[in-house]
This record gives sequence, C-alpha cells and structure tokens, in this order.
Amino acid sequence: MTRHTPPNVDHDPAPLRDRPPLGDPSTIDDAGLRAERRDRLFAAMSDHDLDVLVLARPAEVAFASGARQLWTAGSRPFGPASVAVAATGRVHLLSVSDFDVPPEIPHEDLYGLWWNPANLARDLASIPGLREAKRVGTTSSSPGFADLLASVAPDAREVDGSPALWEARTPKSPAEIDRITGATAIALDTLGALERGLSVGVTEAHLRAVWLSELATAGAPTPPTEAVARATGRGAVDDTAVFQRLDSTVALAEGELVALDPGAFFRGYEGGVGRTRVIGSSPSPQQADLAARVDEATEAVIERCVAGTTGVELVEAWETTGLAVPLMPLVTGVGLGMEPPVIGAALGHDSVLVDRCVLAVTGWAGSEGAGSVLRRDLVAVDGNDPRVLTAHVPTALDSMSTTVTTARPARSEGEP
Amino acid sequence: MATHRAVTAMSNTSNATTSAMDPIGTAVATKGTATVSGRELPERADRARMRVERHARIQHELARSDLDALVLSGTSAVTYTTGVELPGCDPARAALWRTVAVVVSGAEHPHLFIAEPAAAPPGLPPGHVHPAAPPDLRDGAARLAEAVRDLAGAHATIGLDELPHPLRRALGDMELRSASAVMGRAKVIKTVDELACIRRAQHVTEAAMLAVEPMLREPGVTQIELSATFARRVVELGAEQVGIDPIWQVMPRTAAQGPWTTHGDLAFPTPSANVELRDGDVIWVDSGIHVGGYASDFGRTWLVGPDPTPSARQQEQFERWLAVLRASLRQCRPGGSTLEVARAAEEAHRGEGRPWVSHFYLAHGVGTDSAEMPMIGTDLGERFDEGQILAPGMVLVFEPIIWDDGSAGYRAEEVVAITDDGWMPLGGGHPYYPFTVPAEMT
Repeated sequence: MTRHTPPNVDHDPAPLRDRPPLGDPSTIDDAGLRAERRDRLFAAMSDHDLDVLVLARPAEVAFASGARQLWTAGSRPFGPASVAVAATGRVHLLSVSDFDVPPEIPHEDLYGLWWNPANLARDLASIPGLREAKRVGTTSSSPGFADLLASVAPDAREVDGSPALWEARTPKSPAEIDRITGATAIALDTLGALERGLSVGVTEAHLRAVWLSELATAGAPTPPTEAVARATGRGAVDDTAVFQRLDSTVALAEGELVALDPGAFFRGYEGGVGRTRVIGSSPSPQQADLAARVDEATEAVIERCVAGTTGVELVEAWETTGLAVPLMPLVTGVGLGMEPPVIGAALGHDSVLVDRCVLAVTGWAGSEGAGSVLRRDLVAVDGNDPRVLTAHVPTALDSMSTTVTTARPARSEGEP
Repeated sequence: MATHRAVTAMSNTSNATTSAMDPIGTAVATKGTATVSGRELPERADRARMRVERHARIQHELARSDLDALVLSGTSAVTYTTGVELPGCDPARAALWRTVAVVVSGAEHPHLFIAEPAAAPPGLPPGHVHPAAPPDLRDGAARLAEAVRDLAGAHATIGLDELPHPLRRALGDMELRSASAVMGRAKVIKTVDELACIRRAQHVTEAAMLAVEPMLREPGVTQIELSATFARRVVELGAEQVGIDPIWQVMPRTAAQGPWTTHGDLAFPTPSANVELRDGDVIWVDSGIHVGGYASDFGRTWLVGPDPTPSARQQEQFERWLAVLRASLRQCRPGGSTLEVARAAEEAHRGEGRPWVSHFYLAHGVGTDSAEMPMIGTDLGERFDEGQILAPGMVLVFEPIIWDDGSAGYRAEEVVAITDDGWMPLGGGHPYYPFTVPAEMT
C-alpha cells in the first residue's frame, strides 16, 4: 500500500461548543512548530556529540516526531519508541499505522509493535545509520537495553541522552507558549465548572467526575493528573503535599477550604492553574489571612523566576516569608507535560533556571482551624522578566473565575 | 462447564440497556462453585489480605532468584508491590515525579518512597514509608541509592524495571539485573482479591458504557462527547483512574480505506478526537479504568443511528466472533497450553487465518498493567504459546476480531479468570447490543 493519509484528513471536526482560540486541542501540531522542534533536537544532539538518540517517553516522542499517540495513564516501561539519527536527520517512530503521524515521517521510517525482542531488533537494525553509531544517547534505560543495543549497533556506547533532550525541550518557542496558554484557557474553564459545583455535601470524587467530563467536552480528554480537588479540612492540618492521594467520598462541609488544581492539555502541551475556594459562606478572617500569606510567599518565588536563578534561591524566597516549605515541589517545569526542574524542600537546589522555560509555581500552607490554601501559577521566564500566564485568575477564597475567561474568541462576533 | 455463566444478550432496546444501569452489587457474584486455589472470589476485595498475599508471592519469587532486592519505579510495579493507589496521571508526570518501591528479599514489608505519607497504604510499619526519591532527578537518585545500600547491603544484586541514568550513576558498581522475571512470575497468578478488583473494575466500566451507548442513537455525536460521559460515569461509580483515552474508532469497510499500516493488517486502535459519528458507522469501542490499582478492559462493536439494527452480514460477523470466543474458552482449563486455545480459535475461524490483528494477540492478561502475561498468539510464536500452561488465577482478556474486507467486521472483548476446574467470567454479562445472541447459541 502506498497511499498516505495526511494527518487528520479523515477527521471531520465537529464545532466545539467552546473552542479555544487556537482550534481543536486533539490534533497534531502544525508543520512550522514540528520543523522547529526537530531542528532544536538535532542541534542539541550535535552539541552533545550524539550519533543517535533513543527516545522512550510519550512526550519525548511527541517532541521529536509530532505524532499524536494513544494516551494511557501512568509511566510506561523504557523502550525504543523513537530513534533520531544525526547522520540522516531522520526521526524513526514505533507506530503500526500512519494515523496522526505527520507527513515528514514517511512510511519507511515507521516500525512495528513487537512482543518478541528479536523482531524489534530486526526492525531497528534496518534503520539507516544506527549500525555505524558510536555514541547512542538514551533518555532512560533498563538493565536489558545494553544487549538490545549491542545487537543493532555493535560499536555503540550507551550514554545519557537526557542533557541533550532537555537542552532542546526546555526553552520554549512562542508557538509552544501559545499552546501552554491554550491549555491553560481550557483548565480555567474547568476551574469555573469546579467552582460552580462547590457546595455543602459535594465530594472530592464528584468534583473529579465533573472536571474529567468538562475536559473531554472541551476536546482535551486526557488529564495531566486526576488529583484535582482536595478538601483541606479544618483541624490538624497536614502541611505536606496533598495531591498524591486519591480523592475521598467524604462530603464537603460549610466553611471548608477546597484546593482546586485543574490542568489540561492542548496538542500535547500542559497548562493549568491552582486556586483555593471556600465552601458556602465567606472565608473566616483566619482563612483570608492564610490566603494572603500564601499569596505573598508564592509571589516572592515568582519574582525570582528569572534566567540564572538557582533552586536554592527559589526555596529561600519562599522561606523568607516565614512559611514552611511544602513537601510538594515548589517549582517544576511545564511543557509537554511535567518537566524538569523539580525544585522543593529537598530537591533541585542546584537547578538553574533557563531562559524561556515555563514553570509551575505552587504555594501551599495550612493553619490549625483554617484549613489549607493552595495556589499554582504558570510563569514564563523571559530573561529578567517573569511573565505570569495565570495572573488574571483571582486568588481570593470566595472569588469565581468564570468572569475572567478572556482567552476565548469573542462570542458576540456575528451574533445579533 | 460448571463455572460458566452464559453471557446473554439483553433485550433489543436502548431502554432495556438504560434500565440495567445499576448492575453493580446485584450482578457481581458469580453463582456456582467458582474457586481459585480452593477459594471463592469475595464480593469486595480485602485490600489488606491482597497486599499480604502479593508480598508473599514476590518474596517467593525473589527467593528463587539470584536477586537480593527489587528497586521498582514503574507505576504498575509500585502498585503491585506496595499497594499504593496513585491518582491517574500523564506519563510525563508519572515518569518524573515517581513513587518508588524497594523490596528486600526475606523482609516482611516493602519500602515506599513517596511525596505524601498520607497516600501510603495502611499496614506499612513505621520506617517503611520514606520521603520521595525520584530516580530521574540527581538528588532523588542519590537518596534512593543510599537507601538501597542501607536496606539491601552495599554489595547486593538488585533487580530493576527501569534504570534512569541518574540512578545508574548513583548505584555505582552494584550488580544490576532485570526485575522482569520475578515480577512476571509473581503477577501472572492472581489472588482472589486481585480477581475481585478486576471484576469490580470491569463492572464499573460496563455500567458506565450503558450510559454511553444510547448516545449513538443521534448521529453527529462526537467521539469526545462519548469520552466525556464515560469519564464522568466511571468516577461517579467508584473508579480511581481512567486508564486510557477511550477509543471509539470508526471502522472503514476495507483495511485499505483505513490508515496505512506497517504490516498491511488493520490499524487499531487509533486515538479519539473531535470526530462526528455518522448514521451507519461501525464503532469499535476499547477502554479501561482502574479500581484498587487493577485495570479493566472493555470492548464492543456498536452501530450509529436511530435504528442500529445490524445487517444480516453484520449479525453473521458477530455470530462468527461468538463462535471463536466460545471455541477458545472451551480450551481454557488448568494444565492446558495456550497454543491449544489459539488453535481452537483458528479452527473456529474456518480456515480464514488467525482471528486477531497481527501486532496484537487473541488474548492477553490484565492486572496492574492493562496488558500483561499471559499473552496468546503474539509474535513470540507457537513454541512460546505451547510452553505457556494455564493455571488457576490467570486472567485472560479475549479480543478476537472478525474482518470481512469490504464489509468491515466485529470485535469485542471478554475477561475471564482460570479457575480450579475451568474458567469464570469477570465481566457482568454486558449486552452485545445491537447484536443478538441467536437462540441456538444461548
């Protein structure tokens, strides 16, 4: 068969009721962005003297190939899901079909899904330039990978390819930031739905159901994480990370604080915003004071989100406000999902912020009798200028975010 | 077969499917004497007992191996070895902000390295829940390696499922091997509580699908609208994770009208998008969720339109599919080889080759991974299938495919467990609507 289906040509996009400004979230990226990312990847491979880079994670594969692949939750085992070869400038992709594979990856550069390693090795051995490779970068590895590599590239030495990968991925182009903004607009819509769903008696599990449904309705059904709503309690406060825990069916109570941390994907890029709201009535003075302290500490960190800042400086920026550093990461990278750096109480202190990276800054504090407050903002580092992509989302505990949904196309156009 | 509860089609109206919205709790229990290693499946899994029995299986396999400890960072392996149930999340997050398990040979409990101690399962004693040590980060890897040396000894032989470069450097000259043999042998046999989790996950999935299928009566509905309803329903019904972006693939009439493939066989599955479904479309559904860390796997063929009555050809495809399924199930018994199962499926396919797509299988297992061993009919070959012997506690998801090039085809999935004397369904008898099981096949 020689027919090649252009990407999405068989898709018949329906009018999304609330289409984000950039279009349909679940299509592959445009040709310009794909070409630019590929250039960045091969430039970084050249910088690190890699003949071949073996990619495994879905986000890495998306970065290198632009292909849209089936999403599954959780980590996947390491394996050669994509192979970039410097000598040929070609990106080879493990994909049985050409569905949503961009046209710059021709059929001969696709290889199949095998359960038998011998068959996988046979397919890999036919990749031009792999057999001659001397330095093969891998972004992770497994105890058995060396044997597979030796069978297809006998002269190769396996080296850590992740510095090259992150050199390519970390600085974001304007087109990538547009996609993160698009994802954040979707996340903000879902924040509005979560806020409308808040009332006495509602459970965390119900809020997660509402959110997943809203995400899918917006055309972006795959979640960055399903840990999205957390009742923070009023009593002895666990002043630690809260979003690794599964949600409960305990009903929300009047006056309780609920941390809402919705994220979304737009064409592979993650966006999101975290805010805390009070159930029912107005927040107590103690709760309002806690929120103000979290605002102050979060903004102190955001101010330091400039190129060259180290992880320890970010942690110190938080600590100088007098709040304890939460156990969840204070700062992480954001792009094609969660990315380095990961900076927190005991992690990433020697990380250095790279110009044009995008960061998620997460503040969290609790106090006895008040509950806990979460705030998460996305910050684009632009030289000495931290640009807060979520600055328009109110942080007051009794605010509603729906009125600030400005990222949408003007709905009034063409309407009577 | 004593344990065989016939899967029957429900009445041929969408009202009937919606009126059956609440099979959970009422249709759960398998009647009869279905036992696995002499025990019946509990109505609800005893999670504490499940953790203890899984740990015993791991320890048994560790003792038979040359490994002193396991260091595991894959989501499914950490869930299996520690019992921690983590929220569903994107693979990029799961592979960076990892929860890690360390299992030392001969030790009474596993060790868990996790950001939030509150998420640790009950029953892990103090000293076994450690701060997060993500192995893909330099400082996380250093902390993990230090703990591994402390727990297993500086000269221990370690089994790993993944080896990020920072962890490889931090472990230095320790002897590193693959954990796959130990994990595979432990996981392939499920305890009755694991089977109860899979059954519960399957029932939640099926109940949610009862709310989705009637949406096809209105052409113009999109794949993502189906996904929205499904996601909402499964969480409301108690699912912990949506394991996969649900697949609602519109099948072409011929393979050549579909996407190009590396092997010339069908392209399946393809991811969903904002695609409108049209009157008469044949939809292959494939999705799964997690309950207690255990995956379900749901498959059906649906037809779009206000009157989804199958054509005679479509109904006949379904009946051939059912014949292949039943022929396969007749070979499912402890001691039987999976090659016998594959051959029975091929014979029931009346000489038309293997009734499954060549990059997959006739059947696969399911557990904390959505596809795990045993697998039947893969490119591992007939000798592999012949050496794979069924045993009580194994789970098989059958997913044969009937394809008539020019007239599309039929695909569905059924999940069964191998019992002490045969097999039992882990699904709840979900309807094949709009296809009907002929009277002579009930």
